[in-house]
Amino acid sequence: MTTYTVYKEQLPGLFEKWSRKYALYVPSRLREGFYDLVPWKKDLEIAWDYDVAYNSAKRFVMPPQEALVSFDRRTYEAAAVFEAPKQILFGVHPYDVKALNQLDQLMEGGSPDQNYIRRREATVVMAFEPLTVSASAFWASVGAASVAHGFDLYWTKIGPAAFTVEVGSARGEDLLGMNGPLLASTAGDKEGARRAKARILTKARKNGLRYNWEETPRLLSKCWDSPLWRRYSQMCLACGSCNLVCPTCYCFDIREEADDLLEKGVRFRVWDGCMLESFAKVAGNHNFRPKAQDRYRHRYFRKGKYIYDKIGELGCVGCGRCVRACTAGIANPLKVFNELWEETIHEY
Amino acid sequence: MSTKLFSPYVPRPVTLVEKTQLSDFVTRFTFEQDNGKPLAHKPGQFVNLSIYGIGEAPFSISSPPRRTNITFEIAVRRIGAVTGALHALEPGAKVGIRGPYGSSFPVMKFVGKDVLIVAGGLGYIPLRSLLFYQLRHRDEFGRLILMVGTRDPKERIFVDEIADLAKSGDVEVMETVDMPDSTWKGNVGVITTLLPKADLDPGNTFVAMVGPPIMYRFVIAECRKKGIASEQIFVSLERKMKCGLGKCGHCQINELNTCIDGPVFCYTDIEAYQEAI
Repeated sequence: MTTYTVYKEQLPGLFEKWSRKYALYVPSRLREGFYDLVPWKKDLEIAWDYDVAYNSAKRFVMPPQEALVSFDRRTYEAAAVFEAPKQILFGVHPYDVKALNQLDQLMEGGSPDQNYIRRREATVVMAFEPLTVSASAFWASVGAASVAHGFDLYWTKIGPAAFTVEVGSARGEDLLGMNGPLLASTAGDKEGARRAKARILTKARKNGLRYNWEETPRLLSKCWDSPLWRRYSQMCLACGSCNLVCPTCYCFDIREEADDLLEKGVRFRVWDGCMLESFAKVAGNHNFRPKAQDRYRHRYFRKGKYIYDKIGELGCVGCGRCVRACTAGIANPLKVFNELWEETIHEY
Repeated sequence: MSTKLFSPYVPRPVTLVEKTQLSDFVTRFTFEQDNGKPLAHKPGQFVNLSIYGIGEAPFSISSPPRRTNITFEIAVRRIGAVTGALHALEPGAKVGIRGPYGSSFPVMKFVGKDVLIVAGGLGYIPLRSLLFYQLRHRDEFGRLILMVGTRDPKERIFVDEIADLAKSGDVEVMETVDMPDSTWKGNVGVITTLLPKADLDPGNTFVAMVGPPIMYRFVIAECRKKGIASEQIFVSLERKMKCGLGKCGHCQINELNTCIDGPVFCYTDIEAYQEAI
């Protein structure tokens, strides 16, 4: 893989060029300890050491509300709606790239979701090696500390003003070269990047699963009737915050709106959440997951088993966002999986 | 990079050609495909029906597959926004559909066998597609036994049709209601009470059942008591289907997507899933 060395002083020029063709998003501090990817503007300070963006990157490829179909009530003609703005996500941490890769597999498999695919194709992902680990994160223990694909460029900070940039796609390389010839990384720079990765990995490993993450589906298959589900879920507010902030939660509802003359309208998808009370309720008010316990357990089974059985990865990338977002303090995959492990350890 | 323009979310127009009231709340709707082609569905599949400005909902197809006829039927209980708007339509009106979607009853497996059809409540609606397909090829199947259970006599649907089937001798019909009124002369009790009364050849009988969620575990238990193996039992399960494509997550039964893995399942394949029955 080609790797270039880029200096901080080159960035404003590159950002400026990119922002002419793309909507460019960069990590920024909103307030103490609170970060997000925001539209870049000149002189915006980049939060290189952000721990986690409070919003995940899914909103860029699957917005909270997204038009799918336009219709005419008079003729019953309908047409597909595709929106795919050209955008660059700069500074995405590897666990979030992994989450995007997972969405790719799930949305492209079976009946390919063209709305998603188009948005994803128009999105340039510039990954960034984290410098700080969020207190609630455990990505190093769920196989999400590094990614081999899914990015156009991968940036690693190797000094106060220098980065190595691994090329993941021709498109990424072209963007990087927009301001003139590129400087191939020296062996020393590459060693610097390796050390930077090792340093953050050591930090990240301090918080994690007490077992190999690949055991999770097997663990869960023994835990359907665990008292843990009730213990935690009895505090659940069914607010769906965990679903909202989760980078791999993609369940959606389909709704529509007509204009004030009831002639034309748009059908769109909106984010939905399996923790919401009505998620599995059908006409006639029969609810297939009536209790908080049913819904809470379903979410952990989806993260720990159902997604794994489909694509061979955990449906949780260990970002820890749900841990921070949960008002009741019960959303915590790390704690849940570790406690289930303790509960069943005698069976191993 | 993909540049395909096809979107599976776009419905196509069909025209309502006939509307027949079946009970106070249930109506049969016959549609004709505007594209001039047969729907090409299999018994047990469903369509997602759109009334623009109101919404989209899944409905089982009630008519048997038709090779040349471009009409198809659904029968719907008026219970929510989409079904309410649907009931307000008159022939000539258009709706949108996507599909047919989902799995179907494995009719080829049923060839040469007896088939017990267990229809609880509105369950007769999708099972009708299977039954009339089998009647068209009557010689290829053994006995056809239809069990129909309804809450009270007023809610019975397709009453004349079912009476005609019984008279024809092609189908052995057993019927019951939970809450009889003064007009009811037949069996009384939930549908489960019909099974002990039936004389079945368990090794040679396949079962197809559709009914309210509560029904399945009891009817399956009765079938097992009769000695019918799990792999001979087929159920069609209702869940909240939205996208019909296995994406939106609403219709999951554990890790299964009812809209693509189902709605028709062999009982063997779902026995182990806690959320199924």
